[in-house]
Amino acid sequence: MSAATSAPPAAAGGGAAPGRKLTKKQILLILLAIWIGGIVVLGAVYGLHGTRNKAFEPQNEFKLDNWVDLGVFSINKAVLYLFLAGAATCGSMIYIARRMQQRPNKVQAAVEVIYQLMRENITGSAMDERMARKWFPFIATLFLFIMFSNLVGYIPLPTNTEHEISVFGLQIPSFSLYAATANLSIPLVLALVVFVSYTYEGVRAKGPIGYLKGLVPGGVTGAMAVFIFCLEVLSNVMRLMSLSIRLFANILAGHLIILFMAGALAVILGISALGWFTIPFGIALFAFEVGLVAALQAFIFATLTAIYLGGAVAEDH
Amino acid sequence: MHIAFITFLAAATEETAKAGKSIGLGVGGGLGAVGAGVGIGIIFGKAIEAITRQPEMRDEITQLQWLGFALTEACFFYGLVAGLLAAFIV
Repeated sequence: MSAATSAPPAAAGGGAAPGRKLTKKQILLILLAIWIGGIVVLGAVYGLHGTRNKAFEPQNEFKLDNWVDLGVFSINKAVLYLFLAGAATCGSMIYIARRMQQRPNKVQAAVEVIYQLMRENITGSAMDERMARKWFPFIATLFLFIMFSNLVGYIPLPTNTEHEISVFGLQIPSFSLYAATANLSIPLVLALVVFVSYTYEGVRAKGPIGYLKGLVPGGVTGAMAVFIFCLEVLSNVMRLMSLSIRLFANILAGHLIILFMAGALAVILGISALGWFTIPFGIALFAFEVGLVAALQAFIFATLTAIYLGGAVAEDH
Repeated sequence: MHIAFITFLAAATEETAKAGKSIGLGVGGGLGAVGAGVGIGIIFGKAIEAITRQPEMRDEITQLQWLGFALTEACFFYGLVAGLLAAFIV
């Protein structure tokens, strides 16, 4: 205990004078030295040649085992994450809405910024005021649900039932990252809901014939109109694919690259120095995914939904 | 002799199929990354140009820039998904 209080903090700091705080540059240099030193030491001790590990299969990290077998409605990892995301969305928003105050605290201010973004920038800029009032709850729910679903996916949870670890004699599943949106089915269902709702809104505004006519821009006639009509129908189907695959592939690729950088590469190739080498990239990518991609993908999905909804009722194509 | 030749051919076909899958993954991931990289570079370059010209429109430009970024980045993932399909499923 006395050692902890009396020892100069520079004991691990190398060049810094005792008692003085380390500057940012010195801390960075120390971390860099630890990193390079670790690579050299691990490379020297365990060698740079490893044996290929065939037992570990990275694709099994994304495999869905049924926990509760109910046929089509089986409960598996993705369903658990879906419930978690739904509970986080409803729970946090209702909690904050119940506790709203005249003078907002930090959390309320942050939520108000998000509300402003969803109301003005995403919904308001894509459609007129009457429609925006009607469709804002839908678009805001999509945005928040996708964002929470992505963010919950970056919290390590004990969901990997394939490998189990023992804690005081109790077998618990090992911790792993997984997101509901890293499974194609969920973005596809969201995209289908969007597709149905904007088609419904367009048909309601113009009538079935008028909606189909509205796909062709005014002034085009004859064979050209038929060609453009086919093209537009095709592009409507492509919207389904692009909406779902964009979200799914972004999150899946993020999880895959975090998995590989955080150790899977070293485990597969059996080189321990490689694991030490890639871990900073893993941390940086993790921060990038949490800080930017999770919210950005939700923003894109919601913005495109708003644009499609606005475009379906617009008079001029 | 004939059986040996057939076994050799079968082994060769398997190796070729493996090579083809690897090429599919490489082309899907690699060329996709090239195209999307050029696109993302253009988007951010143009956004910086636009903001330096009209700094008062910064917020709108930033919003459009992120929209364009995500749409372009998605094209990389289409290539990557096609490559993964070729490598692991087909």
